[in-house]
Amino acid sequence: MVDFFIGLFLANLIVSLFTTRLYRLLLWYSLNSLSLGMAALLIGQKLNDTPMMITGIVTIILKGIFLPYILKFLSKKFKLDRQVSPNIKVPYSIILVPAVIVFTFYLTEPIVSMIGGNQNYVALSVAAMFLSLILMLEHKNVAPKIIGFLSMENALFLLGISATGGMPMLIELGIFFDLLMAVVVINLLFRKEEISNV
Amino acid sequence: MFEFLIPPVIIFLLSFLDIEKVKRFMPIVGATMLVPIVLSFGKGDINYFNHTFLLNDLAKYILLVSVIVGIGISLALISLDKHVKISKNAYKNFYRFFAIFWMGLTLSILSNNMGIYWIGLESATLSTVYMIKTNSSLSAHKEAWNYMIVGTIAISLILFGIILIYASAKPLLGEDAMKFSVLLANIKYIKNGYLFEIGFAFVSVGMFVKMGFFPMNLWLANIERASFYPVAALFSGILESAIMIGFFKFSSIAKEVNYSHLIGFGFLYTILTLFIVSFLIYRVKDFMRLFSLSGIEHMAIIAVFWISGAHFAALLHFGAHAFLKPALFVSTGVLESGGKYHIAGALKGYKDFKGKLFVFIVGLLMLAIVSLPPSPMFFSELYGFGTMINIAKNSNHLILMLVGIGLLLLFLAIIFYKFIEVYQSMKYDGVSKEKKVYFSELFAISLYGVCTAVLLSPFAFAFLRSI
Repeated sequence: MVDFFIGLFLANLIVSLFTTRLYRLLLWYSLNSLSLGMAALLIGQKLNDTPMMITGIVTIILKGIFLPYILKFLSKKFKLDRQVSPNIKVPYSIILVPAVIVFTFYLTEPIVSMIGGNQNYVALSVAAMFLSLILMLEHKNVAPKIIGFLSMENALFLLGISATGGMPMLIELGIFFDLLMAVVVINLLFRKEEISNV
Repeated sequence: MFEFLIPPVIIFLLSFLDIEKVKRFMPIVGATMLVPIVLSFGKGDINYFNHTFLLNDLAKYILLVSVIVGIGISLALISLDKHVKISKNAYKNFYRFFAIFWMGLTLSILSNNMGIYWIGLESATLSTVYMIKTNSSLSAHKEAWNYMIVGTIAISLILFGIILIYASAKPLLGEDAMKFSVLLANIKYIKNGYLFEIGFAFVSVGMFVKMGFFPMNLWLANIERASFYPVAALFSGILESAIMIGFFKFSSIAKEVNYSHLIGFGFLYTILTLFIVSFLIYRVKDFMRLFSLSGIEHMAIIAVFWISGAHFAALLHFGAHAFLKPALFVSTGVLESGGKYHIAGALKGYKDFKGKLFVFIVGLLMLAIVSLPPSPMFFSELYGFGTMINIAKNSNHLILMLVGIGLLLLFLAIIFYKFIEVYQSMKYDGVSKEKKVYFSELFAISLYGVCTAVLLSPFAFAFLRSI
């Protein structure tokens, strides 16, 4: 079941690379976070690790529901352009994405051989980080860049739970706090004149 | 531990009141932070919350430096609205985010835990974004977003590295693998040295990006150019202090894993950075970019001294830079008052006593930053390069080290030439127009000048040698 959610996590991120509509992008981010939260919850249950289960629940609530809702609210409030066309054309992305994933498996081979637990998750989390970077790079609009940054944070969270068996609870809560602060700053940064192109 | 966080919290709360009335109290509130730091010097290492935070000699020194910088900047902020156009609301918000920034970096400096160190750094990064935005120009808006994106990529690289380091040590140390002191004491017993090194490389690259090292040399300079001058002063005085203490801690552990890898990686990165930066400085046309790029140069020198084992030289250079550079950035605010930033004749037109004193101090600062004696930077470079040669004498790499030092000196000579040219142009070229300097910023610059001089005292030398 964990494999299913990790697969879903990656699939949602891949689809978001091809998305041209803002609200759909927020939906993919929401699903990406929900599947990550579910995976953390299940891994925590399997390892009998209560802090990881709590982190999973917080991920579902905060990143899966609250953040996409707030971002949608902000995009309505500041009348963001809902057409978010990527610079990389879809046919090229279709070639690029599997190449990145395969490349990552080779790249991380020396690292994952030293890490216990499920080594594929580590490789997938690094792949997710690269894909998030592509998401940030392939758009000129600010909103997809923010989604890319948040997806990168999700990828690091997956790396944390797969490579280390979960980061300490205090650190996870601190990261969530910083994420909330990021939303406050993003809210302050949004102004009509800078929304279009940066 | 909370005694170090209360002053920024009070500044945060005061920012909700009438800013015109309360802004004069901000430096006094900031100065109260000096009391617990000074008192801590009589004691040994102090730990809080089961070694999650550690106030050792290194942290005391860096915290003291950053607090003095913070006090100076809160002094300079009093007259910010006299030099730039800023709305009352933006002024308030600047203080608010300055307080969050200060809190975050104090946490990072005190932290003995890699994760909390990162959290402090991240909250400081995010608060900086809004401080950049307080300038209402279009370029500041763009650079605020730029900082948000590049800054978070850099900080993500640091977190990625921390996760790998934690993964390498967790099987042996459990959750204590997050603690710098525990990791340093047990690093020799860790089997996954390779994993640690990869993690360290990611952490270093993230930190180097944040400090504007190769290949991201211009992004920080552009951001500092677009924002109000206190932001640049905060970057050079406090943010870089917090990043540097992290680099010191991580590299001390990496040194135990494989010293030759650390030296090779550090030297290559530093020489490349200095190569690019020296030529960028040569072509520079305004103060802000000049000082910003010079900050990258000094951070590179501090990093190379530290990894070479010249800890005294690195700390002396670090302290001198942390005082001199914010002083120069605050001076830039005065020199560029009203949006004019011509280098030629910048030091002309200051008539009264305050003005003449300002010109005198800026002259001293300009000469001190290029390491002319008796600047502490002159002594730090002397000690630093001397230690590097001594280390190389005991290895088979003496010629390589001499070539490296030769290259570093060549790049520093280019920077030296440019600074002297700029100083001469400021003093002798251009036309004279009447300009004004305010007491608060003069006080701030003088404070930094006095603190730089104190670094040359025998007790400061003795303390730095003991770290």
